[in-house]
Amino acid sequence: MILYRLSNIQKVYPGRTVLDISSLEIEAGKVYALLGPNGAGKTTLLNILAFLDAPSCGEMSFRSRKVRFTEAVLQQLRKKVVMVDQHPIMFTTSVYKNVEFGLKIRGVPKIDRERLVAESLDLVGMRRFISAPAHRLSGGETQRVALARALALSPEVFLCDEPTSGIDAENRQVVVDILRQINREKQISLIFTTHDRAQANSLTRRILSLEGGSLRAAAYENVFTGLIETRSDSTRCFRVRNGLRIKLTKSQAGPQGGRSRIVIDPAGLKLMPRTGNRQPADAISGRVVSAAFENDHVRVVVDAGVSLTAYLPQAEYRDKRILVGDAVDLLALPESIHFL
Amino acid sequence: MDLLLDSLVSAFLLVISLDPEMFAIVGVSLKVSFGSTLIASLIGIPAGFAVSFNEFSGKRIVVTILNTLLALPTVVIGLMVYAFISRRGIFGIFDLLYTQKAIIIGQVILIVPVVTVFTLAAISRIDERYRKTAATLGANRRQTAWVVFREARFGIMAAVIAAYGRVISEVGISMMLGGNIKGFTRTMTTAMALEYDKGAFTLAVALGMILLGLSFGMNLLFHYLQGRTRV
Repeated sequence: MILYRLSNIQKVYPGRTVLDISSLEIEAGKVYALLGPNGAGKTTLLNILAFLDAPSCGEMSFRSRKVRFTEAVLQQLRKKVVMVDQHPIMFTTSVYKNVEFGLKIRGVPKIDRERLVAESLDLVGMRRFISAPAHRLSGGETQRVALARALALSPEVFLCDEPTSGIDAENRQVVVDILRQINREKQISLIFTTHDRAQANSLTRRILSLEGGSLRAAAYENVFTGLIETRSDSTRCFRVRNGLRIKLTKSQAGPQGGRSRIVIDPAGLKLMPRTGNRQPADAISGRVVSAAFENDHVRVVVDAGVSLTAYLPQAEYRDKRILVGDAVDLLALPESIHFL
Repeated sequence: MDLLLDSLVSAFLLVISLDPEMFAIVGVSLKVSFGSTLIASLIGIPAGFAVSFNEFSGKRIVVTILNTLLALPTVVIGLMVYAFISRRGIFGIFDLLYTQKAIIIGQVILIVPVVTVFTLAAISRIDERYRKTAATLGANRRQTAWVVFREARFGIMAAVIAAYGRVISEVGISMMLGGNIKGFTRTMTTAMALEYDKGAFTLAVALGMILLGLSFGMNLLFHYLQGRTRV
Protein backbone atom coordinates (compact mmCIF):
# COMPACT_ATOMS: atom_id res chain seq x y z
CA MET A 1 0.00 0.00 0.00
CA ILE A 2 1.20 3.49 -0.84
CA LEU A 3 1.62 5.56 2.30
CA TYR A 4 2.68 8.89 0.83
CA ARG A 5 2.28 10.09 -2.72
CA LEU A 6 3.93 13.41 -3.55
CA SER A 7 3.44 15.25 -6.80
CA ASN A 8 5.25 18.45 -7.83
CA ILE A 9 5.94 19.36 -4.22
CA GLN A 10 8.00 22.51 -3.81
CA LYS A 11 9.14 24.49 -0.83
CA VAL A 12 10.18 27.98 -1.75
CA TYR A 13 11.71 30.65 0.43
CA PRO A 14 12.32 34.17 -0.88
CA GLY A 15 14.93 33.85 -3.58
CA ARG A 16 15.49 30.11 -3.37
CA THR A 17 13.76 26.77 -3.84
CA VAL A 18 14.86 24.37 -1.10
CA LEU A 19 12.75 21.42 -2.20
CA ASP A 20 11.49 20.43 -5.62
CA ILE A 21 10.12 16.91 -5.92
CA SER A 22 8.25 16.06 -9.08
CA SER A 23 7.09 12.63 -7.98
CA LEU A 24 7.62 10.36 -5.00
CA GLU A 25 5.81 7.33 -3.62
CA ILE A 26 6.54 5.79 -0.25
CA GLU A 27 5.19 2.36 0.64
CA ALA A 28 3.69 1.53 4.02
CA GLY A 29 5.60 -0.69 6.43
CA LYS A 30 8.95 -0.18 4.73
CA VAL A 31 12.17 1.55 5.70
CA TYR A 32 13.38 4.50 3.61
CA ALA A 33 16.63 6.40 3.93
CA LEU A 34 16.89 9.99 2.73
CA LEU A 35 20.50 10.46 1.78
CA GLY A 36 22.11 13.74 0.90
CA PRO A 37 24.56 16.46 1.90
CA ASN A 38 23.72 19.42 4.14
CA GLY A 39 21.22 21.72 2.49
CA ALA A 40 19.93 18.98 0.20
CA GLY A 41 16.39 19.42 1.53
CA LYS A 42 16.23 16.27 3.67
CA THR A 43 14.87 17.96 6.79
CA THR A 44 12.46 20.09 4.76
CA LEU A 45 11.05 16.96 3.15
CA LEU A 46 10.88 15.21 6.51
CA ASN A 47 9.00 18.18 8.03
CA ILE A 48 6.46 18.01 5.21
CA LEU A 49 6.07 14.24 5.62
CA ALA A 50 5.64 14.81 9.38
CA PHE A 51 2.89 17.38 8.64
CA LEU A 52 4.86 19.98 10.56
CA ASP A 53 5.28 22.18 7.53
CA ALA A 54 3.25 22.80 4.39
CA PRO A 55 4.82 22.88 0.94
CA SER A 56 4.64 26.07 -1.11
CA CYS A 57 2.88 24.18 -3.88
CA GLY A 58 2.14 20.67 -5.10
CA GLU A 59 -0.03 17.80 -3.98
CA MET A 60 0.44 15.17 -1.34
CA SER A 61 -1.72 12.24 -0.33
CA PHE A 62 -1.45 10.16 2.81
CA ARG A 63 -2.97 6.68 2.71
CA SER A 64 -4.65 7.59 -0.59
CA ARG A 65 -6.35 10.64 0.90
CA LYS A 66 -5.38 14.05 -0.40
CA VAL A 67 -3.81 16.19 2.30
CA ARG A 68 -5.27 19.66 2.76
CA PHE A 69 -2.64 21.82 4.37
CA THR A 70 -4.82 23.52 6.92
CA GLU A 71 -3.78 23.62 10.58
CA ALA A 72 -6.81 21.57 11.68
CA VAL A 73 -6.14 18.78 9.14
CA LEU A 74 -2.39 18.74 9.79
CA GLN A 75 -2.96 18.55 13.51
CA GLN A 76 -5.12 15.43 13.08
CA LEU A 77 -2.58 13.82 10.75
CA ARG A 78 0.24 14.54 13.20
CA LYS A 79 -1.34 12.05 15.56
CA LYS A 80 -0.45 9.30 13.05
CA VAL A 81 3.16 10.25 12.43
CA VAL A 82 5.94 11.18 14.81
CA MET A 83 9.20 12.84 14.02
CA VAL A 84 12.33 12.61 16.11
CA ASP A 85 14.59 15.60 15.64
CA GLN A 86 18.29 15.49 14.80
CA HIS A 87 19.01 16.98 18.22
CA PRO A 88 15.91 16.10 20.23
CA ILE A 89 14.97 18.35 23.10
CA MET A 90 13.52 17.14 26.36
CA PHE A 91 10.86 19.04 28.28
CA THR A 92 12.24 20.34 31.58
CA THR A 93 10.73 17.57 33.65
CA SER A 94 11.24 13.87 34.31
CA VAL A 95 11.81 11.18 31.69
CA TYR A 96 8.44 9.69 32.66
CA LYS A 97 6.55 12.92 31.99
CA ASN A 98 8.36 13.41 28.70
CA VAL A 99 7.34 9.99 27.42
CA GLU A 100 3.85 10.40 28.86
CA PHE A 101 3.26 13.76 27.13
CA GLY A 102 1.85 12.50 23.81
CA LEU A 103 -0.25 9.84 25.52
CA LYS A 104 -1.80 12.40 27.85
CA ILE A 105 -2.67 14.60 24.90
CA ARG A 106 -4.41 11.66 23.26
CA GLY A 107 -6.48 11.09 26.40
CA VAL A 108 -4.98 7.68 27.21
CA PRO A 109 -6.07 6.61 30.74
CA LYS A 110 -3.43 6.93 33.47
CA ILE A 111 -3.06 3.19 34.06
CA ASP A 112 -2.39 2.58 30.34
CA ARG A 113 -0.05 5.54 30.22
CA GLU A 114 2.08 4.07 33.00
CA ARG A 115 2.28 0.73 31.21
CA LEU A 116 3.09 2.25 27.81
CA VAL A 117 5.76 4.56 29.21
CA ALA A 118 7.43 1.62 30.98
CA GLU A 119 7.25 -0.57 27.84
CA SER A 120 8.68 2.14 25.60
CA LEU A 121 11.53 2.86 27.98
CA ASP A 122 12.21 -0.88 28.22
CA LEU A 123 12.45 -1.07 24.45
CA VAL A 124 15.18 1.56 24.34
CA GLY A 125 16.88 0.31 27.51
CA MET A 126 16.15 3.45 29.52
CA ARG A 127 13.69 2.15 32.12
CA ARG A 128 16.10 2.84 34.98
CA PHE A 129 16.05 6.55 34.09
CA ILE A 130 12.25 6.82 34.42
CA SER A 131 12.40 9.33 37.30
CA ALA A 132 15.53 11.12 36.14
CA PRO A 133 15.46 14.74 34.96
CA ALA A 134 15.20 14.34 31.19
CA HIS A 135 17.03 17.55 30.28
CA ARG A 136 20.15 16.36 32.09
CA LEU A 137 20.63 13.16 30.07
CA SER A 138 23.61 12.71 27.75
CA GLY A 139 23.24 13.00 23.97
CA GLY A 140 22.84 9.26 23.42
CA GLU A 141 20.42 8.86 26.32
CA THR A 142 18.38 11.82 25.10
CA GLN A 143 18.16 10.24 21.66
CA ARG A 144 16.93 6.98 23.16
CA VAL A 145 14.33 8.68 25.36
CA ALA A 146 13.20 10.70 22.33
CA LEU A 147 12.69 7.40 20.48
CA ALA A 148 10.74 6.02 23.46
CA ARG A 149 8.63 9.20 23.60
CA ALA A 150 7.72 8.71 19.96
CA LEU A 151 7.29 4.93 20.18
CA ALA A 152 4.88 5.15 23.10
CA LEU A 153 2.38 6.67 20.67
CA SER A 154 2.50 3.64 18.31
CA PRO A 155 2.62 5.87 15.23
CA GLU A 156 1.93 4.64 11.71
CA VAL A 157 5.02 6.43 10.49
CA PHE A 158 8.23 7.08 12.31
CA LEU A 159 10.38 9.89 10.93
CA CYS A 160 13.92 10.37 12.18
CA ASP A 161 16.16 13.26 11.25
CA GLU A 162 19.77 12.10 11.41
CA PRO A 163 19.03 9.70 14.27
CA THR A 164 22.65 8.95 15.07
CA SER A 165 24.33 12.29 14.57
CA GLY A 166 26.19 13.63 17.56
CA ILE A 167 26.11 10.45 19.63
CA ASP A 168 28.87 8.01 20.47
CA ALA A 169 29.50 4.74 18.62
CA GLU A 170 27.91 2.56 21.32
CA ASN A 171 24.68 4.55 21.40
CA ARG A 172 24.71 4.80 17.60
CA GLN A 173 24.53 1.05 17.29
CA VAL A 174 21.81 0.88 19.96
CA VAL A 175 19.73 3.46 18.06
CA VAL A 176 20.17 1.63 14.74
CA ASP A 177 19.11 -1.63 16.40
CA ILE A 178 16.03 0.03 17.90
CA LEU A 179 15.02 1.45 14.52
CA ARG A 180 15.40 -1.95 12.90
CA GLN A 181 13.36 -3.56 15.68
CA ILE A 182 10.57 -0.96 15.42
CA ASN A 183 10.09 -1.68 11.75
CA ARG A 184 10.41 -5.44 12.01
CA GLU A 185 8.29 -6.09 15.08
CA LYS A 186 5.77 -3.28 15.00
CA GLN A 187 5.53 -2.89 11.20
CA ILE A 188 5.92 0.86 11.60
CA SER A 189 6.98 2.66 8.43
CA LEU A 190 10.35 4.27 9.01
CA ILE A 191 11.81 7.20 7.11
CA PHE A 192 15.14 8.58 8.24
CA THR A 193 17.70 11.02 6.94
CA THR A 194 21.41 10.42 7.03
CA HIS A 195 24.73 11.48 5.54
CA ASP A 196 26.08 8.04 6.12
CA ARG A 197 25.69 5.73 3.18
CA ALA A 198 26.81 2.69 5.19
CA GLN A 199 24.19 3.36 7.86
CA ALA A 200 21.50 3.77 5.22
CA ASN A 201 22.56 0.48 3.66
CA SER A 202 22.55 -1.29 6.99
CA LEU A 203 18.89 -0.48 7.49
CA THR A 204 17.37 -0.50 4.03
CA ARG A 205 17.85 -0.88 0.33
CA ARG A 206 15.27 1.86 -0.33
CA ILE A 207 17.50 4.88 -0.53
CA LEU A 208 16.28 8.23 -1.79
CA SER A 209 19.12 10.55 -2.74
CA LEU A 210 18.51 14.26 -2.46
CA GLU A 211 20.74 16.87 -4.02
CA GLY A 212 19.91 20.56 -4.17
CA GLY A 213 16.34 19.88 -3.09
CA SER A 214 15.62 17.34 -5.83
CA LEU A 215 15.64 13.57 -5.92
CA ARG A 216 18.58 12.18 -7.87
CA ALA A 217 18.99 8.83 -9.51
CA ALA A 218 22.63 8.79 -8.52
CA ALA A 219 23.36 7.71 -5.00
CA TYR A 220 24.75 10.40 -2.73
CA GLU A 221 28.35 9.31 -2.92
CA ASN A 222 31.42 10.63 -4.65
CA VAL A 223 29.84 14.05 -5.08
CA PHE A 224 32.43 16.77 -5.56
CA THR A 225 32.49 20.51 -6.12
CA GLY A 226 35.42 21.88 -8.09
CA LEU A 227 36.76 23.70 -11.12
CA ILE A 228 36.95 22.50 -14.72
CA GLU A 229 40.39 23.14 -16.15
CA THR A 230 41.46 22.92 -19.76
CA ARG A 231 44.99 21.64 -20.34
CA SER A 232 47.35 22.74 -23.09
CA ASP A 233 46.44 19.67 -25.16
CA SER A 234 42.80 20.88 -24.92
CA THR A 235 41.78 17.97 -22.69
CA ARG A 236 39.71 18.85 -19.64
CA CYS A 237 40.01 17.80 -16.06
CA PHE A 238 37.96 18.42 -12.94
CA ARG A 239 40.01 19.81 -10.06
CA VAL A 240 38.61 19.11 -6.62
CA ARG A 241 39.29 21.59 -3.82
CA ASN A 242 42.30 19.77 -2.36
CA GLY A 243 44.09 19.54 -5.70
CA LEU A 244 42.85 16.11 -6.77
CA ARG A 245 42.33 15.98 -10.55
CA ILE A 246 39.80 13.77 -12.37
CA LYS A 247 40.28 13.49 -16.11
CA LEU A 248 37.34 14.24 -18.36
CA THR A 249 37.15 12.93 -21.93
CA LYS A 250 36.56 15.18 -24.92
CA SER A 251 33.21 13.61 -25.55
CA GLN A 252 32.14 14.17 -21.95
CA ALA A 253 29.07 16.38 -21.77
CA GLY A 254 28.92 19.27 -19.30
CA PRO A 255 30.40 22.74 -18.96
CA GLN A 256 33.73 23.62 -20.60
CA GLY A 257 35.03 25.62 -17.66
CA GLY A 258 34.26 27.28 -14.36
CA ARG A 259 32.91 25.94 -11.13
CA SER A 260 30.80 22.80 -11.24
CA ARG A 261 29.61 19.76 -9.34
CA ILE A 262 30.06 16.16 -10.38
CA VAL A 263 29.08 12.74 -9.13
CA ILE A 264 31.05 9.57 -9.87
CA ASP A 265 29.08 6.35 -9.88
CA PRO A 266 30.87 4.05 -7.38
CA ALA A 267 30.34 1.11 -9.76
CA GLY A 268 32.31 2.96 -12.45
CA LEU A 269 35.33 3.53 -10.29
CA LYS A 270 37.92 0.88 -11.06
CA LEU A 271 40.13 -0.18 -8.21
CA MET A 272 43.66 -1.44 -8.81
CA PRO A 273 46.16 -2.61 -6.23
CA ARG A 274 49.38 -0.58 -6.36
CA THR A 275 52.25 -2.61 -7.77
CA GLY A 276 55.64 -0.98 -7.30
CA ASN A 277 55.91 2.77 -7.81
CA ARG A 278 54.26 2.90 -11.19
CA GLN A 279 50.98 4.72 -11.32
CA PRO A 280 48.74 4.45 -14.40
CA ALA A 281 48.19 7.73 -16.24
CA ASP A 282 45.22 9.76 -14.93
CA ALA A 283 44.76 7.37 -12.03
CA ILE A 284 43.94 8.64 -8.57
CA SER A 285 46.07 7.19 -5.82
CA GLY A 286 44.90 6.59 -2.28
CA ARG A 287 44.70 4.14 0.57
CA VAL A 288 41.82 1.81 1.46
CA VAL A 289 40.17 2.91 4.71
CA SER A 290 37.20 0.55 4.83
CA ALA A 291 35.58 -2.32 2.97
CA ALA A 292 32.02 -3.44 3.68
CA PHE A 293 30.23 -6.41 2.19
CA GLU A 294 26.81 -5.61 0.74
CA ASN A 295 25.06 -8.66 -0.66
CA ASP A 296 27.24 -9.82 -3.59
CA HIS A 297 29.26 -6.59 -3.76
CA VAL A 298 31.85 -4.82 -1.66
CA ARG A 299 31.82 -1.09 -0.94
CA VAL A 300 35.41 0.11 -0.63
CA VAL A 301 36.19 3.56 0.71
CA VAL A 302 39.51 5.03 -0.37
CA ASP A 303 41.18 8.07 1.14
CA ALA A 304 42.63 9.96 -1.79
CA GLY A 305 42.73 13.33 -0.09
CA VAL A 306 38.98 13.20 -0.47
CA SER A 307 36.88 10.16 0.31
CA LEU A 308 36.13 8.06 -2.78
CA THR A 309 33.85 5.04 -2.79
CA ALA A 310 34.16 2.15 -5.22
CA TYR A 311 31.52 -0.55 -5.53
CA LEU A 312 32.73 -3.81 -6.99
CA PRO A 313 31.59 -7.41 -7.17
CA GLN A 314 32.80 -9.65 -4.36
CA ALA A 315 34.59 -11.97 -6.78
CA GLU A 316 36.55 -9.06 -8.28
CA TYR A 317 37.41 -7.79 -4.81
CA ARG A 318 38.76 -11.22 -3.81
CA ASP A 319 40.75 -11.56 -7.05
CA LYS A 320 42.45 -8.22 -6.46
CA ARG A 321 43.34 -9.15 -2.88
CA ILE A 322 42.88 -5.64 -1.58
CA LEU A 323 42.96 -5.12 2.16
CA VAL A 324 42.23 -2.17 4.38
CA GLY A 325 45.38 -0.02 4.57
CA ASP A 326 46.61 -1.02 1.11
CA ALA A 327 47.74 1.63 -1.37
CA VAL A 328 45.54 1.53 -4.50
CA ASP A 329 44.93 3.38 -7.74
CA LEU A 330 41.50 4.40 -8.91
CA LEU A 331 40.37 5.08 -12.43
CA ALA A 332 37.04 6.76 -13.09
CA LEU A 333 35.38 5.42 -16.24
CA PRO A 334 34.15 8.31 -18.42
CA GLU A 335 30.55 7.02 -18.40
CA SER A 336 30.54 7.01 -14.62
CA ILE A 337 31.09 10.79 -14.33
CA HIS A 338 27.97 12.93 -14.37
CA PHE A 339 27.55 16.67 -13.94
CA LEU A 340 24.97 17.80 -11.39
CA MET B 1 30.75 58.59 59.09
CA ASP B 2 29.47 58.90 62.66
CA LEU B 3 26.08 59.97 61.37
CA LEU B 4 25.84 56.88 59.19
CA LEU B 5 26.96 54.53 61.96
CA ASP B 6 24.65 56.12 64.53
CA SER B 7 21.76 55.96 62.07
CA LEU B 8 22.48 52.31 61.27
CA VAL B 9 22.63 51.33 64.96
CA SER B 10 19.45 53.27 65.79
CA ALA B 11 17.71 51.84 62.74
CA PHE B 12 18.67 48.32 63.71
CA LEU B 13 17.30 48.87 67.23
CA LEU B 14 14.09 50.26 65.71
CA VAL B 15 13.68 47.18 63.54
CA ILE B 16 14.19 44.70 66.37
CA SER B 17 11.89 46.73 68.67
CA LEU B 18 9.09 46.02 66.16
CA ASP B 19 8.05 49.67 66.06
CA PRO B 20 4.29 49.76 65.19
CA GLU B 21 4.50 52.89 63.01
CA MET B 22 7.32 51.44 60.99
CA PHE B 23 5.50 48.15 60.48
CA ALA B 24 2.31 50.00 59.46
CA ILE B 25 4.34 51.71 56.72
CA VAL B 26 5.87 48.38 55.64
CA GLY B 27 2.36 46.86 55.59
CA VAL B 28 1.01 49.57 53.27
CA SER B 29 4.02 49.21 50.99
CA LEU B 30 3.65 45.44 50.75
CA LYS B 31 -0.10 45.65 50.19
CA VAL B 32 0.05 48.14 47.30
CA SER B 33 3.12 46.52 45.76
CA PHE B 34 1.64 43.02 45.83
CA GLY B 35 -1.66 44.37 44.54
CA SER B 36 -0.13 46.24 41.62
CA THR B 37 2.27 43.36 40.79
CA LEU B 38 -0.62 40.88 40.78
CA ILE B 39 -2.78 43.02 38.48
CA ALA B 40 0.17 43.87 36.21
CA SER B 41 1.06 40.16 35.99
CA LEU B 42 -2.48 39.25 35.03
CA ILE B 43 -2.27 41.79 32.18
CA GLY B 44 1.42 41.65 31.27
CA ILE B 45 2.07 37.90 31.20
CA PRO B 46 -0.72 37.05 28.71
CA ALA B 47 0.12 40.17 26.69
CA GLY B 48 3.84 39.32 26.52
CA PHE B 49 3.05 35.71 25.69
CA ALA B 50 0.60 36.69 22.95
CA VAL B 51 3.05 39.12 21.33
CA SER B 52 5.91 36.63 21.46
CA PHE B 53 4.04 33.46 20.50
CA ASN B 54 2.09 34.88 17.57
CA GLU B 55 3.32 36.31 14.31
CA PHE B 56 1.43 39.38 13.10
CA SER B 57 2.08 42.48 11.07
CA GLY B 58 3.26 45.37 13.19
CA LYS B 59 4.85 43.08 15.80
CA ARG B 60 8.12 44.99 15.71
CA ILE B 61 6.33 48.28 16.25
CA VAL B 62 4.47 46.82 19.24
CA VAL B 63 7.76 45.57 20.73
CA THR B 64 9.39 48.98 20.14
CA ILE B 65 6.49 50.78 21.85
CA LEU B 66 6.65 48.37 24.80
CA ASN B 67 10.40 48.92 25.14
CA THR B 68 9.83 52.68 25.07
CA LEU B 69 7.21 52.39 27.81
CA LEU B 70 9.84 50.75 30.04
CA ALA B 71 11.42 54.17 30.43
CA LEU B 72 8.18 55.91 31.42
CA PRO B 73 9.04 58.24 34.37
CA THR B 74 6.97 57.78 37.51
CA VAL B 75 6.18 61.50 37.71
CA VAL B 76 4.70 61.41 34.20
CA ILE B 77 2.47 58.49 35.22
CA GLY B 78 1.61 60.35 38.42
CA LEU B 79 0.57 63.43 36.47
CA MET B 80 -1.43 61.42 33.91
CA VAL B 81 -3.33 59.42 36.51
CA TYR B 82 -3.84 62.56 38.60
CA ALA B 83 -5.51 64.23 35.61
CA PHE B 84 -7.98 61.37 35.39
CA ILE B 85 -8.76 60.74 39.07
CA SER B 86 -8.62 64.22 40.59
CA ARG B 87 -11.93 65.83 41.43
CA ARG B 88 -11.99 67.58 38.03
CA GLY B 89 -10.93 64.44 36.14
CA ILE B 90 -13.33 62.11 34.33
CA PHE B 91 -12.96 59.50 37.09
CA GLY B 92 -13.19 62.13 39.83
CA ILE B 93 -16.54 60.79 41.01
CA PHE B 94 -14.83 57.61 42.26
CA ASP B 95 -12.88 59.64 44.80
CA LEU B 96 -9.67 57.70 44.19
CA LEU B 97 -7.07 60.39 44.68
CA TYR B 98 -4.88 59.93 47.78
CA THR B 99 -5.97 56.32 48.27
CA GLN B 100 -4.08 53.07 48.05
CA LYS B 101 -6.12 52.24 44.93
CA ALA B 102 -4.71 55.34 43.22
CA ILE B 103 -1.16 54.18 43.98
CA ILE B 104 -1.99 50.72 42.63
CA ILE B 105 -3.43 52.18 39.39
CA GLY B 106 -0.29 54.24 38.84
CA GLN B 107 2.03 51.36 39.68
CA VAL B 108 0.15 49.00 37.37
CA ILE B 109 0.71 51.44 34.51
CA LEU B 110 4.39 51.59 35.49
CA ILE B 111 5.04 47.85 35.53
CA VAL B 112 2.73 46.37 32.89
CA PRO B 113 5.40 47.16 30.25
CA VAL B 114 8.06 45.59 32.53
CA VAL B 115 6.14 42.32 32.91
CA THR B 116 5.14 42.31 29.23
CA VAL B 117 8.62 42.96 27.83
CA PHE B 118 10.37 40.54 30.19
CA THR B 119 7.74 37.84 29.51
CA LEU B 120 8.15 38.45 25.79
CA ALA B 121 11.92 38.09 26.12
CA ALA B 122 11.55 34.92 28.22
CA ILE B 123 9.24 33.31 25.64
CA SER B 124 11.44 34.39 22.72
CA ARG B 125 14.45 32.70 24.31
CA ILE B 126 12.69 29.34 24.44
CA ASP B 127 14.16 26.90 21.94
CA GLU B 128 12.01 26.53 18.81
CA ARG B 129 12.36 22.74 19.13
CA TYR B 130 9.94 22.76 22.09
CA ARG B 131 7.13 23.89 19.80
CA LYS B 132 8.12 21.43 17.12
CA THR B 133 8.39 18.54 19.60
CA ALA B 134 5.01 19.32 21.17
CA ALA B 135 3.43 19.57 17.71
CA THR B 136 4.85 16.29 16.43
CA LEU B 137 3.69 14.55 19.60
CA GLY B 138 0.17 15.64 18.72
CA ALA B 139 -0.29 18.83 20.75
CA ASN B 140 -2.70 21.41 19.42
CA ARG B 141 -1.92 25.12 19.44
CA ARG B 142 -3.19 25.65 22.99
CA GLN B 143 -1.24 22.66 24.34
CA THR B 144 1.89 23.77 22.48
CA ALA B 145 1.49 27.25 24.00
CA TRP B 146 1.29 25.66 27.44
CA VAL B 147 4.51 23.70 26.81
CA VAL B 148 6.31 26.91 25.80
CA PHE B 149 4.86 28.76 28.80
CA ARG B 150 6.00 26.00 31.15
CA GLU B 151 9.52 26.05 29.75
CA ALA B 152 9.64 29.83 30.16
CA ARG B 153 8.29 29.81 33.71
CA PHE B 154 11.51 30.91 35.41
CA GLY B 155 11.95 33.78 32.98
CA ILE B 156 8.35 34.83 33.61
CA MET B 157 8.86 34.53 37.37
CA ALA B 158 11.92 36.76 37.00
CA ALA B 159 9.75 39.27 35.10
CA VAL B 160 7.28 39.39 38.00
CA ILE B 161 10.07 39.79 40.56
CA ALA B 162 11.66 42.59 38.53
CA ALA B 163 8.28 44.33 38.37
CA TYR B 164 7.79 43.90 42.12
CA GLY B 165 11.24 45.36 42.73
CA ARG B 166 10.34 48.33 40.54
CA VAL B 167 7.12 49.19 42.43
CA ILE B 168 8.31 48.62 45.96
CA SER B 169 11.16 51.03 45.40
CA GLU B 170 9.32 53.75 43.44
CA VAL B 171 8.48 57.04 45.12
CA GLY B 172 6.96 59.37 42.50
CA ILE B 173 3.61 57.63 42.01
CA SER B 174 3.14 56.85 45.70
CA MET B 175 3.82 60.47 46.63
CA MET B 176 1.72 62.11 43.87
CA LEU B 177 -1.27 59.77 43.94
CA GLY B 178 -1.09 58.52 47.53
CA GLY B 179 -0.31 61.80 49.20
CA ASN B 180 1.85 60.19 51.91
CA ILE B 181 -1.00 60.08 54.47
CA LYS B 182 0.22 58.53 57.71
CA GLY B 183 -1.22 55.10 58.37
CA PHE B 184 -3.11 55.07 55.08
CA THR B 185 -0.98 55.79 52.02
CA ARG B 186 2.45 56.24 53.57
CA THR B 187 4.76 53.72 51.97
CA MET B 188 8.37 52.92 52.80
CA THR B 189 9.76 55.15 50.05
CA THR B 190 7.50 58.15 50.76
CA ALA B 191 8.20 57.81 54.47
CA MET B 192 11.93 57.70 53.76
CA ALA B 193 11.66 60.86 51.65
CA LEU B 194 9.69 62.61 54.41
CA GLU B 195 12.09 61.56 57.16
CA TYR B 196 15.01 62.74 55.05
CA ASP B 197 13.32 66.14 54.62
CA LYS B 198 12.88 66.30 58.38
CA GLY B 199 16.52 65.42 58.92
CA ALA B 200 15.49 62.32 60.93
CA PHE B 201 17.54 59.56 59.45
CA THR B 202 16.81 56.74 61.86
CA LEU B 203 13.42 55.69 60.48
CA ALA B 204 14.60 56.36 56.91
CA VAL B 205 17.62 54.09 57.32
CA ALA B 206 15.52 51.45 59.12
CA LEU B 207 13.02 51.43 56.25
CA GLY B 208 15.89 51.29 53.78
CA MET B 209 17.24 48.22 55.56
CA ILE B 210 13.82 46.55 55.44
CA LEU B 211 13.46 47.45 51.75
CA LEU B 212 16.78 45.83 50.95
CA GLY B 213 15.88 42.84 53.12
CA LEU B 214 12.60 42.39 51.24
CA SER B 215 14.35 42.50 47.86
CA PHE B 216 16.90 40.00 49.09
CA GLY B 217 14.13 37.77 50.46
CA MET B 218 12.24 37.85 47.16
CA ASN B 219 15.35 36.85 45.25
CA LEU B 220 16.08 34.07 47.72
CA LEU B 221 12.53 32.77 47.31
CA PHE B 222 12.89 32.87 43.53
CA HIS B 223 16.13 30.88 43.59
CA TYR B 224 14.62 28.42 46.06
CA LEU B 225 11.59 27.85 43.82
CA GLN B 226 13.83 27.56 40.77
CA GLY B 227 15.93 24.95 42.52
CA ARG B 228 12.91 22.97 43.71
CA THR B 229 10.97 23.08 40.47
CA ARG B 230 13.88 22.09 38.26
CA VAL B 231 13.83 18.33 38.71
